[in-house]
Amino acid sequence: MSASLAPECNEVKERYDTCFLKWYSEKYLRGAEKDNKECAGLFNEYQKCLSVALKNRGIDKLLDEAREDNKENDSSNVWLDLLAAEKGMPADALACGEA
Amino acid sequence: MKVFSNQVTYDYSWDEVSTANWRKYGPWNNKSEHVIAVDTLSRRVDPETGVLRTERLITCKQAAPDWIKSLLGGNMEESFVYEASYVDPQSKTVTMVSQNLTWSNLVRVQEEVVYKPLSDHQTQFIQSARITALCGGWQRIKNGIEDSLCTRFKENAVKGREGFERVLEMSRIVFAEEKERLQQQLM
Repeated sequence: MSASLAPECNEVKERYDTCFLKWYSEKYLRGAEKDNKECAGLFNEYQKCLSVALKNRGIDKLLDEAREDNKENDSSNVWLDLLAAEKGMPADALACGEA
Repeated sequence: MKVFSNQVTYDYSWDEVSTANWRKYGPWNNKSEHVIAVDTLSRRVDPETGVLRTERLITCKQAAPDWIKSLLGGNMEESFVYEASYVDPQSKTVTMVSQNLTWSNLVRVQEEVVYKPLSDHQTQFIQSARITALCGGWQRIKNGIEDSLCTRFKENAVKGREGFERVLEMSRIVFAEEKERLQQQLM
């Protein structure tokens, strides 16, 4: 699993990521469970550690702005753009183009 | 504004791809040195739709071209990306939307990624990014910044594909081993 930006949170992050992945592949994808209760404790512990690091580096303020920007994506279909782009795109294409 | 677009077909099921996607930037990926950390900020399943919504913070370390460095100044070593993703297990769709948190007053990069099944054992990855330089001044400089970022996207996309193929391969091997171990325990 990938590292945390705060090395002091690495250990609890690793434990949480492992827990989440197990839940995701064994329960969530199989429709067995909607809530991720078994990892909630680890997640809270990880967040407690991470939030300090985000505050210290001033990233928390940047995140607030980004979340504000992202609000429309939560309610609407962001992938409309993609589907439109897809129609005019050959398979396995890779390109830089003008807007 | 420049638009980067990319499509890849992976020969793995959507379940495998959507699971491996969570460890895309882990140690199995030897082609993503520019991503140094991935942190989960929030995670929740919508009780009505069953959609899993995750917010992540991605920390990158990638040297910018020298001429951009001298133009923008400051420490360009670390940059941050905010990502919101939505997994819909019903329609088997993963959608990820990302934007840059760093130098956001100079350039805006909005990326959208979708993973969806093509068949039971094939998954399509569709990526598009809109790159807009916001700094006032000469159009030539704006174009230069946009071109340079778009080229960077292209380079990263090639590496991203190679790296993710390896993650998928490793995930399948580990999953098979795990299954075998469980079966042996049951016997």
